[in-house]
Amino acid sequence: MTGMHRVAITGLGCIAAPGNDVPSFWAALKEGRGGIGPVASVPHDKLNIRIAAEVRDFDPARHFDERKLMLLDRFSQFTLVAARQAVAQSGLDFKSGLGRETAAIIGTGAGGMNTIEDAYTRLFGGNGGSSRQIPLTIPRLMISAASSHVTMEFGITGPSFAVSSACSSANHALGEAFWMVKSGRARAAVCGGSEACITFGTMKAWEALRVLAPDACRPFSGGRKGMVLGEGAAVAVLERLDEAKARGAAIIAELAGFGMTADAGDIVQPSEQGASDAMNLALKDGGLKPEEIGYVNAHGTGTLANDATETRALKRTFGAHAAKLMVSSTKSMHGHTLGAAGAVELVAAAMALKDGVAPPTANYQRPDPACDLDYVPNTARQAKIGAALSNSFAFGGLNAVLALRAV
Amino acid sequence: MAEIAEKIMDIVAREAKLDRAKLALDTRLDALKIESLDLVQILFAIEDEFDVYVPYNDESYKLETLSDVVNGVNRLIAEKQPEAAAGQN
Repeated sequence: MTGMHRVAITGLGCIAAPGNDVPSFWAALKEGRGGIGPVASVPHDKLNIRIAAEVRDFDPARHFDERKLMLLDRFSQFTLVAARQAVAQSGLDFKSGLGRETAAIIGTGAGGMNTIEDAYTRLFGGNGGSSRQIPLTIPRLMISAASSHVTMEFGITGPSFAVSSACSSANHALGEAFWMVKSGRARAAVCGGSEACITFGTMKAWEALRVLAPDACRPFSGGRKGMVLGEGAAVAVLERLDEAKARGAAIIAELAGFGMTADAGDIVQPSEQGASDAMNLALKDGGLKPEEIGYVNAHGTGTLANDATETRALKRTFGAHAAKLMVSSTKSMHGHTLGAAGAVELVAAAMALKDGVAPPTANYQRPDPACDLDYVPNTARQAKIGAALSNSFAFGGLNAVLALRAV
Repeated sequence: MAEIAEKIMDIVAREAKLDRAKLALDTRLDALKIESLDLVQILFAIEDEFDVYVPYNDESYKLETLSDVVNGVNRLIAEKQPEAAAGQN
C-alpha cells in the first residue's frame, strides 16, 4: 500500500476492571494488579462460576444526565466514557469541519445485553410476564447504538457503523478504522470496542460452554482452567501521523499494520494456521520484520486450547525469534472483555511501547510444556520495545491482529 | 448404580451420535474421539439428568473410561446430599 498515510494514535480512553481511565488502568497493569473478583452484579445462588472482571465504582449519573441515560445501555455508557477520555487527550475538535472526514467505528460482540435481558425478564417473568415493553428497548440494544452515540457526542458525520466478530470485534473495528485513515478514506477515526454482558443469562450461557475458570485467569500457565469474563470499553483516536506532528499533538504510538483471516474450521476450536497467517499479514501491512517485534499482547484467554494453539502460532510466525519475544496476556487482570478485548489490549500495547514496560501475565503459577515462551510472568518488565503486536482470535475462527510501532 | 451407568451410556451415545451397543463401562473415552462440543452437550445432559453440577477442569477426577464417568457422577450425587439437606440448591 504505497502512497498511503502513516497513522498515529493521539488519544486513548478506557474503562475496565483494573481502572476507569487509562492512567489508573495502566498503573494497575504495571503492578500486575487485577480487577477480577466475586461477581457483584449477579446473585451468586444460581451461579457455579462466581468471579468476573467487572467495572467498579462506576456511577452513570455522574457521566450522563437523566434524559441521555435513558438512551444508553451499559455498553454505550462505557463507550462514551472511554471516547470522551480519548478525544480529550487528542485535543481534536470534530465540530470544526473535521467531523465530516472522521470515522466512528465501535466493535461489540453482544451489544445491549443488559437491555435485552431486562426486556426478556419483563416479558417472560413471573405471573405470566408483561405484554408491554419499555419504549426505548430497541435503540438501546442495537449493536450499532454505541457507534451512533459516539457520532452524536462529538459531531462526527463521516462513516460510522458497528463491527461484530465476537472476541475480535474491537480489533476488526480498529483495523478497519486504521485502514480508512491509512488509505485517505477518512482523516481521523474514533474507534474501539465495548462490551457489558456480565448478566445472569450470559454468565449461565458461558458456564454451560465450560470455558470459565472458577478461581482465576492464568493464561499460558500450568494449571489454568479457563477464561474469566470481563466488561468495559476502550477507544482510540487515530489520525494521520504527519498531521498529528504538524499540529504538535502528543503521539502515543503509531498504529502500523492490520491483518485478518478466517480459519474456516471450527466454531470454537482455534487454528494455529489462521492465527499465524493473521500475524504475518499484520507484520507485512506494517512493513515490519518479525525481528522488530519486542512485545506481543496475546489473545491469551486462559483456556487450555487457546493458549497452546497461540503459542504454536507465534512460533510459526516468528521462528527462532519467538523465544526472544515478551508475550503477555493482560486478560489475567482485566478479564476477557469479549468484543472490547482488542481495544482494551491496544491500550496495554500502546502504553507498553510509550513507557517501555511490558505488562505481565498475572496469576502465572508454573510452566506448561505446551506453552514454552516468555510470558512475562507476574511482574512487569522494563524494556525498550520498538514494535508490538496485539492479537484477537475469536470463536468462529475470526482472527484480527494489530501491529504498533513506537514513535 | 447400574441404572446410573445405563443412563450415562445412553446420554453419551445420544449426544455424541455413537452406537449405543458399542459402549461398555471399560470403553476408553479417548477411543470414542468425542468432539469438544459433543462433550459439552454430554456434560449438560448429565447435569440435567442427575441434578448435579459437573465442575470444570477438576483435576481430582481421573476420567479415562466410561466407568470413571459413572464413578464421578456417583461422587457428585453423594456430595450433593448434605447440601440438599441444608436446603441449598
